[in-house]
Amino acid sequence: MTYRICLTLLALFCPLSNAAQLDVSVVDDQGSPVKGAVVYLTSSSPLPAVKPGTMADMDQVKKQFKPHILVVQKGTQVRFPNSDSIQHHVYSFSPAKPFELQLYKDHHPDPLMFDQQGQVELGCNVHDWMLGYIMVVDTPYFAQANAQGLATFDVPPGRYTLHLRHPRIQDDPKSLDLPLLLDDHTAHTFSLQEPLLPGLDEFEEQTDEFSGYE
Amino acid sequence: MRPCLPWLLGCLLSINSLAAEVSGLMQASLAVTDNQPGWQEQGSGILRYEEDGLHLQQALVKIDHHLASGWQMELVANLHEDGEQQLGLTQAQLLYKPLSADKVKFRARAGFFYPQMSLENPDTGWLSPYNYTQSAINSWIGEELRIAGLELGLYSPGRQRRSPWSWELYGGVFRGNDTLGTLLSWRGWAMHDRQSLHNDRINFAHYGQPFDTYRNALPAWTEPFKELDGRNGYYAGLHLDYYQTVSVRYYFYDNNADPLAVNEQRLYGWDTRFHSLAASWQLNERNRLISQWVTGDTLMGDNKVYVEFDAWFVLLSHAVEKHRFSARFDRFRTRGDDVWPWDQNHQDGDAITLTWRYQWDESWQFGLEQHINSNRALNRATLGEAPDRDRQQTLALAQYRW
Repeated sequence: MTYRICLTLLALFCPLSNAAQLDVSVVDDQGSPVKGAVVYLTSSSPLPAVKPGTMADMDQVKKQFKPHILVVQKGTQVRFPNSDSIQHHVYSFSPAKPFELQLYKDHHPDPLMFDQQGQVELGCNVHDWMLGYIMVVDTPYFAQANAQGLATFDVPPGRYTLHLRHPRIQDDPKSLDLPLLLDDHTAHTFSLQEPLLPGLDEFEEQTDEFSGYE
Repeated sequence: MRPCLPWLLGCLLSINSLAAEVSGLMQASLAVTDNQPGWQEQGSGILRYEEDGLHLQQALVKIDHHLASGWQMELVANLHEDGEQQLGLTQAQLLYKPLSADKVKFRARAGFFYPQMSLENPDTGWLSPYNYTQSAINSWIGEELRIAGLELGLYSPGRQRRSPWSWELYGGVFRGNDTLGTLLSWRGWAMHDRQSLHNDRINFAHYGQPFDTYRNALPAWTEPFKELDGRNGYYAGLHLDYYQTVSVRYYFYDNNADPLAVNEQRLYGWDTRFHSLAASWQLNERNRLISQWVTGDTLMGDNKVYVEFDAWFVLLSHAVEKHRFSARFDRFRTRGDDVWPWDQNHQDGDAITLTWRYQWDESWQFGLEQHINSNRALNRATLGEAPDRDRQQTLALAQYRW
């Protein structure tokens, strides 16, 4: 009887036992949370590929990129909708995706395929203060730290490597790659050793419509 | 006017609709003034309208045409109801701004354009989004100054260097603009928003008529973009920005005109040079402070006319929801020191301009403006007028933008 009850309980909780939870905390050298930090898991085993036709948006809103950092799985197509009523000229020199795209008022170009992993830094040749990033990762398991510096994953149990990336982080990337065995509930804190590069968030601050004109 | 129309039409027809953005703006105004003739009617007033009534305040079309990566063409054509020419170009330029991953980048432009020395007029077609009547400084720049030439620039956007500071450095060389200084010396500073067209002629009063036959032989008008001496003018400018909060721009301009050069119309070269220092400070989300100061001198003939001039303004603009309130104080001055004692070039004045604008929707805007000025020009005596003049003007405007 006891054996049957145990089997029933195991069957009931089987779906839960197939998911491992990982909580990641990211703090800078001062102990402050690093909002927007990108964390992702890779594995030597094959991971699910991106679904064909997966789309993401990197918008242009009030002469800024929105979001500031967009994380996509390799093979995702990214649209540049341009919510502003003015022209933008978006470009990248990053090896993962060099491109340029003219965005006119009321004209939406075809999305671009991001099929190489890496960090793609975006600029606008009309508005020189605009700066954005597309982080292309070769995994479906990625997240960004919230305002408290926390990111949470629910992934199948197994052996992974946890990665941390952010354009402002100066630490050696090798120190930001961590092998992990995930089976139940794991927590990890990244404490950065080097100070972050300046955030310059004031460039993102909303001023008035005549800010930054030429 | 006629020769430019086929060219303008050709440009319009050749434009690929995908790569071109056409925008425009029209303002109709109801003006209530104190009925004093302005310079365009060869009076000595310094405001645009001499009679109450309905006016076409602004009508312009701007075409931005992307030609290739980094190459852009910009045209601005204006229609005026007043002045000697009604239809023409106020700007026509080819801009080159190549994509570059370098921290210090290069850019250039050529054509017929304004140097970027002012911070008062960032709206379409070099208009001010703050006051309708522009400052004395930018009223003058809009009517007498334009670069027909080439500008080269180096610039370094701060954000790409992870610095709050951005800088830009410009140098320009040009022809034309040899008569710059004529209006300032004889009419003095004025306050309006009429930008001269590429082929324009600007009238002013027949100052000096009772006194001198030589002066009478000179025209009571100027064509501001004339080339008279075959010499190049030049300018240099430095922009410094702290984030997008504070902008400072310094320019030095010298048209390098030969003051002895004269053409068959008896238009003289005016050797004019000046410094301009402008600043804009976004105090917070709602308030912006803008100021500009110009000081310089101009020489015509064999010291026949030598005038030192300076002007400044301070503008405070407050935006709340769909309303924008702007208040500006101007002070302006010219001083003559030359061999024609009967040709008095002294002018002093100050002005207050208060403007309210209401943005009804994306296209429509409505506004009211009250302008008062007090100005003194000694050469009014040559017209039999008192040198001191107080003026006021009330404008009610409707603006449509597309």
